[in-house]
Amino acid sequence: MNVPEDLRYSSDHEWCRQEGDHVRVGITDYAQDALGDIVYVQLPEPGAAASAGQPLCELESTKSVSDVFAPLDGTVVEVNSELVDSPQRVNEDPYGEGWICLIKPASAEAFGSLMGAEGYRKLIEA
Amino acid sequence: MSPGLRASPLHSWHRANGARMVEFGGWEMPLQFGQGTLAEHMACRRAAAVFDVSHLGTVRLEGRDALGVLQSNLTNDLGKIGPGRAQYTHLLGEDGSVVDDLIVWWVAEERFDVMPNASNTASVLGAVGGRDVTAERAVIALQGPAARQVLAVTFPEAASVGHFRVTRLSWRGTPVTVAATGYTGEDGVELAVPAEAAVGLWEALVGAGAVPAGLGARDTLRLEAGLPLHGHELGPGITPLDAGLSWVLAWGKPGGFRGLAALEKQRAAGPRVKLAGLLGEGRQPMRAGYEVALGEAVPSGTAPPAQLTSGNYSPVLARGIGMCFLPVGVAPGTTVLVRGRGQELPAKVVKLPFVPKAGSGAGGAGRSVAGTPVPTTAS
Repeated sequence: MNVPEDLRYSSDHEWCRQEGDHVRVGITDYAQDALGDIVYVQLPEPGAAASAGQPLCELESTKSVSDVFAPLDGTVVEVNSELVDSPQRVNEDPYGEGWICLIKPASAEAFGSLMGAEGYRKLIEA
Repeated sequence: MSPGLRASPLHSWHRANGARMVEFGGWEMPLQFGQGTLAEHMACRRAAAVFDVSHLGTVRLEGRDALGVLQSNLTNDLGKIGPGRAQYTHLLGEDGSVVDDLIVWWVAEERFDVMPNASNTASVLGAVGGRDVTAERAVIALQGPAARQVLAVTFPEAASVGHFRVTRLSWRGTPVTVAATGYTGEDGVELAVPAEAAVGLWEALVGAGAVPAGLGARDTLRLEAGLPLHGHELGPGITPLDAGLSWVLAWGKPGGFRGLAALEKQRAAGPRVKLAGLLGEGRQPMRAGYEVALGEAVPSGTAPPAQLTSGNYSPVLARGIGMCFLPVGVAPGTTVLVRGRGQELPAKVVKLPFVPKAGSGAGGAGRSVAGTPVPTTAS
């Protein structure tokens, strides 16, 4: 499983990338593989509040419906609307074109307290 | 291998070749292989896919009495066919409920291989007797418009077996029963092969281009084809009439069959419900258990909300689809709302199947489905 070194991770299998004042969020390679072919993405609304550990949006595969959990507190500022017609991008490129949303974190410290790549790798190999 | 589950003769091959395994009907079977359910589904619609369906049972009846036993137990009339033919039929309870839907392979004059659903093998065996030979063989389903081209280079004698014909052939010295049957809506064959030769035959088919496919694709394929699945569209409290399968009922068969009296009553009273398709406006999958709000379609209070018996995403249509028993008055074209998990999905009632069966005159690349042009970029 691909676990990029430069990202931070939640224990719910989301990745986070710091981009200036914002954090880009998606699901990990491990998560997309476990879900199977994603055929529908219910995106969050721009402006919606994100609450760490709470459902942010939903992904549906041919076999199930799964929540994406907010990795930190904040506000959704942008969503990847390309996923409406091309949800398979989450499977094909989970750390790139399959990103889900951009969050403005409520605090500057939250990102730093997320797991690093090594910690996440241990979690999924456990 | 999970404890208590049965394994197909192809189990080790699946594990060694990237299959994700899942429990189904007491067996551990592939849900999908590395390419995933959507690619496997489209391979079956456009080329050829190969499925391990060894979890289906094989109950073998032999001897002079076998025909009579099956005729009095099963709803269809074997008198309409003969040795070398297959027939889809039902086993009912006295109340007319579908105990199992199954295929009978009339292999030779006094030999019948009855193929129940995995979890119903014991009840079928209890009803008709015979010998459970499930463990002795694998059953491989090769399905899709290119299935016969795959056979032409791997097992040429099997390539010319006609639709719903059954024949015993030899593949590299191994006896294989070939039936031109399946449950995907596509042309193809099902091959019953001795357990020890299963991997060799499977690898030959895969080597000739058939894509290994799992239960995930098998389910989306049968759903698009509008085919009922026991435990969903068939089961306790559901008769063949409810499911729109009156053609499996041989009303005038000498001696009748179990459940006939209950069905005659139901026929006299008129139909109660009708199995219908629901085509979503968007991509969002429908799921079994979602409720259908009929709105203006029926006078309020006359019908309880119907629940979807099956639902998923149609890879060919790129829409959510589902099946549901609706009151008989609800016509195709009616707009409904499908409700589940706090959401409402607009949908239209359509006739089944969602995707025409192969050979129904609309097959091939130019298929149009439920009046809707097929997207050319279905993912």
